[in-house]
Order: sequence, then structure tokens, then C-alpha cells
Amino acid sequence: MIWLTQDFDLLSVLLRALTLSLEALTVGGVLFLLVIATPAMAEAGAREASSRFAGWAALGLAIAQILSAAESAAMLMGGSGLSFHEVVTADFFIADITIVVAALLLFLLTRLRRGSSRFVNPLLAMVIVAGSVALSHGASRLDHRFLLLAFTTAHHLGSAAWIGAMPFLLVTMRRSQETDRLHALVQRFSTMAMISVAVLVLAGVGMACFYIGSWAGLYGTSYGLLVLAKVYLLFLILALGGSNYFLLKRTRGEAKPLLMRLRRFSEAEIGLGFTAILIGASLTSQSPAADMPQDRLTTHEIVHRLGWKQPSLTTPAFAQLSRRVSLKAELESESFTGGSPNDAMDQAWSEYNHHWAGVIVLTAGVFAFCARFGSRRWARNWPLLFIGLAVFILLRADPEAWPLGPRSFWGSFAEAEVLEHRVFALLITAFAVFEWAVETGRLQSRRAAMVFPALCAIGGAFLLTHSHALGNAKEETLTEMSHGPIALFGITAGWSRWVELRLPERDDSRIRRVLSWIWPVCLVLVGIVLLNYRES
Amino acid sequence: MKKIVISAAFGLICLFSASRLAFAHAMLVSSTPAINGIVHGPGVAVDLKFNSRVDGKRSRLILVLPNGATQALAVTAQPAPEELTARAELEPGAYTLRWQAVAADGHISRGEVPFKVQ
Repeated sequence: MIWLTQDFDLLSVLLRALTLSLEALTVGGVLFLLVIATPAMAEAGAREASSRFAGWAALGLAIAQILSAAESAAMLMGGSGLSFHEVVTADFFIADITIVVAALLLFLLTRLRRGSSRFVNPLLAMVIVAGSVALSHGASRLDHRFLLLAFTTAHHLGSAAWIGAMPFLLVTMRRSQETDRLHALVQRFSTMAMISVAVLVLAGVGMACFYIGSWAGLYGTSYGLLVLAKVYLLFLILALGGSNYFLLKRTRGEAKPLLMRLRRFSEAEIGLGFTAILIGASLTSQSPAADMPQDRLTTHEIVHRLGWKQPSLTTPAFAQLSRRVSLKAELESESFTGGSPNDAMDQAWSEYNHHWAGVIVLTAGVFAFCARFGSRRWARNWPLLFIGLAVFILLRADPEAWPLGPRSFWGSFAEAEVLEHRVFALLITAFAVFEWAVETGRLQSRRAAMVFPALCAIGGAFLLTHSHALGNAKEETLTEMSHGPIALFGITAGWSRWVELRLPERDDSRIRRVLSWIWPVCLVLVGIVLLNYRES
Repeated sequence: MKKIVISAAFGLICLFSASRLAFAHAMLVSSTPAINGIVHGPGVAVDLKFNSRVDGKRSRLILVLPNGATQALAVTAQPAPEELTARAELEPGAYTLRWQAVAADGHISRGEVPFKVQ
């Protein structure tokens, strides 16, 4: 079981992220049908499509929750010797099964299309939310438990009614023919979204008061940094939502083309919103900042680490790195200690990796800029630089594993960090190849053009939740302090490029021009942050 | 095809955004024996206090003995929802107490307490 411990730990958070996203989608769909797309407000075809979509989301939730329960059961029975009876009678398992039953009933009711489902579905949605809240931090807190459970419930409902319901708005927009009716529906959604944001933010602030507790907890812990990342995404979504709101006011009379732009902006809102939900899943695996008074960074420590220093472009020899114990012994030890600190040579090795990565990304950003605004044909090959980055990650990110170290290629997948680095290398290669083909005109497909922004946004989200097992909370926070901005720049670059490509060619060229500036600037900023990365 | 691409993208977002290790949930606030502490044997009382409610029936305490062998300790009835307690008869030497706590919300966390018995 020890071989699977790290990957199972990773899988458990992965499934939590999946279930939270599908919960928001399912509950958002039910709320959308209940409050927005009522029979009077929406066309029958659009309602039907939204209902079907909510049903499939519920089925997805049931499957993801079954997997989550099975993973927990396997972990406890295989790793801790618990009996099947002990597992299935645990509170968390009962909460898992409650969600599964409610989601399956919801799926069946949407398929049967019974009139009564309009009243039963909201009840089932509430059961799903209650089950999910029972699996949150609030359930295990010692103080203010019921208040925190209430805040968490409000936070879940707010995100479901806003982010979770938004895909249903897009489905409805696509299936609607009557522009005036659709316009009224979108305005109604806009009102619900504003109320949801208020509920979401108030509940979030309430939780932050208990889970973070102080400014030092906000900027000096990993938990606080993730909350700040969520706040940044919230502002981005609000900026897009705000522009949609004003757009809506202008759409009377000439609705069709402007509603198209509203759809494109909404796609980015949905993507950013689900990224925020996924950070929420990551937060559930973090110890709240309020519980870590000894492990908070001071402003002096932060300034010392983040102050600019000359990048190091020389590497220690492989033989100078600390010798690792056998993989089995390391996995066993790390599962209890959380990792081992790097020595000076390991740190120099890692800094060198990051600094060269910075040189590559910075150069790619500058070339992308030249290609777009300087009309330099050769500069269009900038994506190929990222293949160099992928090779660099594969060769040097994990020196104890293949090809440099003694651990085999397949065996080292037992380490979650190695697994993550290899997925990263794969992602980077994929987007480099696609974007190079698109930039140089080898691929004309519009879908191929979307690969770069999609993988950029995914990679950013991935990095935002990528952890470093250093066995020292302060060092981990300092490392995440540089990886966090890189992730946020990646997410911003991805979604700005996405909207730029998705807006119709004839659309307002000023918006497209602003968007086309944002992503190369983000690439340059990522390069600069990487060049200043340090571990001491 | 388009639906498959969208589903795959959504799945990937979920997959790659969830990679933080579920390492720190129920956190050890204080312990007897203390971390790197010295206690007198042979009867040693173990008392671990966490920052959240833990499930005593489903949590585990394992002792790494001076010779490297491991021994599971029986968790006794919880005096408080956030505490795990046990008792062991130990010879003088260096030990490590490895704990695996299941929080009330189902999250598993682990840690260790090295100590010496005189």
C-alpha cells in the first residue's frame, strides 16, 4: 500500500475537486431551472436542454462520489487495516453515500420528466449540498462549528447559483430563438448572479475570519495565499461579469451580435469560476492559517526571499546532490514527515532549473510580442522554445529519478511530485506543438488554436495547486509564493487568449487588441518571476 | 466530437487542479511525549491533541521501536473529540510514534513524534 500512498493522497484531493465542481454544476442547474428558466421565461426546447444537462451533471456527480468513497475505503482498509464495517459506518462515508443517492435520484427524475421533479429536485439539491458541507473543514472544527457549517453552506449555494448556473445560461442562449424573451432571461440571471456574489463573498469573509484570523495568516501561510488567489480570480470574474452587465444594458434592439460577445465573455467567466472552485478543493486539504501561528512567514522573511537577485546559470554536478534513500523507505517516511528539506546543493540545482526555465519563457514571451506587433516572421516559431522547457523538466526536475537518477521511469511515478512534473512536460509539449502549427499557418483549424489557451489555463490551475513536500511549512509557503503568481499569470494569459480567439473577427477591435497584449505580457512576467526564484 | 473535447478539457482541468497532497488536515497541536522529548518508562502514556475532531475508532497509532520494528498501539476511549490516547510498556531507547488521524470530515493526515524513553 505504501507504493500507492502518495498517489492515493493526490487522488483523494483530485476527486474532491471533481465532486465540488460537479456539485456546483448540478445544484446550479437545479437553481437555474427553478428561478431563471421557468416555463414562463424560457422556451420549451431550452428548458429541456438545461434539464438534460443538469441530469448528466448529477450522474457525473454520483459516479465521482462513488469513486471518492471507494478511494477512502481502499485507503483505510488497505493502509490502516480497518474492516469494511468500520469504514461504511463512518460519518464521512454516510455523507458520501447520501450525495450518491440524492444525485442518482436527481438524474432519474430529469430523465423521467415528471412534473413533480420541479419540487423534488430542489430538495435533492439541498441534500447534496448538506452532504458536501459535512465533508468540509467546518464539520471537524472544535469551535463555532454550526456557524462555520452555515457559512460553508452559503458559500456552496452562492457558487452554485453563480458559477454552476452559468453553463446553463449558455445552453439556454444557444437553444433560444426569441431574442426579447432571451434578453429578459439573461437580465434575470444577472440579478441572481449579483445576489449570489454577495452571498458568496459574505460567507467567504465570514469563513476567513475563523480560518485565517489575521493579516499575517493571509499573507504568511499557504492557506492564506490560496485564498488570495481565489480573491484575484473573483476580481477577474467580476470584471468580466461587470462588462456583461453593461453590455446587456446596450443590447436592446440589436441583441443578436452583442449576445454573442456576452457568450464569449461568459465562457471565460465559467473557466475562471471553476478554477476558483478547484482552489476551494485544494483549501480543504490545507490546514487553516488560524491553526498555524508558529508557521507563518514574517514580512521580513518574505521581502528577503522575494527581493531581486542575479539569476544563477551554473549548476552543481549531479554527484554533489544529496543521496536519497530507497524509494520505498522515502515514501514510508514522507507519508509521516511530509518530505525532507533540500540541502544547499539541491537548492542550487533547483534554482538553476527555474532560472533557465525563466530564460526560455521570457524569450518566448518577447518573441510572441515581436510576432504580433513587429511582424517578424521568424518570431512566430516562439512556441518551439517550450519544447526545450519540457525536455528540461523531464531531464532535471527530479534528479533522483530516470534518466539521471537510479529510480526507474515507471517506479518513480509512485512519487506524486514526479508524476506532476511529467504531466507538466506532456502538457507543455502538447501546447507548444499545437501553437507552433497554428502560428506558422500549418494548422488552420479554429479548434487547434484553442489548445494553447486551454492548456495555458489548465497548466496555471495545475501549478496553483502543485505542492512541494519539503517537510517545513514556511519553506513550502515561500516556494508557493513564487509559483502562485506564475500560475495566476498563466491562467490570465490562457483566458485572455481564449476570449481574443473566440470573439467574432468583426467585433470591437479595441477589446481584441487589449486582449492580444495581455497574454504575451503575462508570458514575460512569468519569465521574470522564474528568473528570481530562490530556495534560500 | 465537440462534446468529447469539452468533456475532456473539463476533466483535465479537474485532474490537474487537484494535485495538492492531502497532507495537512487534522494537525497535531500538542503531544505527550513531546516531539524529541524524554519520558520515563516503562509505563508511557500517549496523548495526542489535534486542531480538529478526530475519529478515534478509525485513527491509528504505530510505534517504531529502537530496533526498527513497528508495533500498533490500541487507541483507548477518547477523553475529548480532538484527542487520541494510548498506553505502552517501553524499554529505554529511541522511539518514533507514527500517527494517522481520520478527521470527522473523512480526511486522513499523518505525522510522527520522535521521543526517548529513559
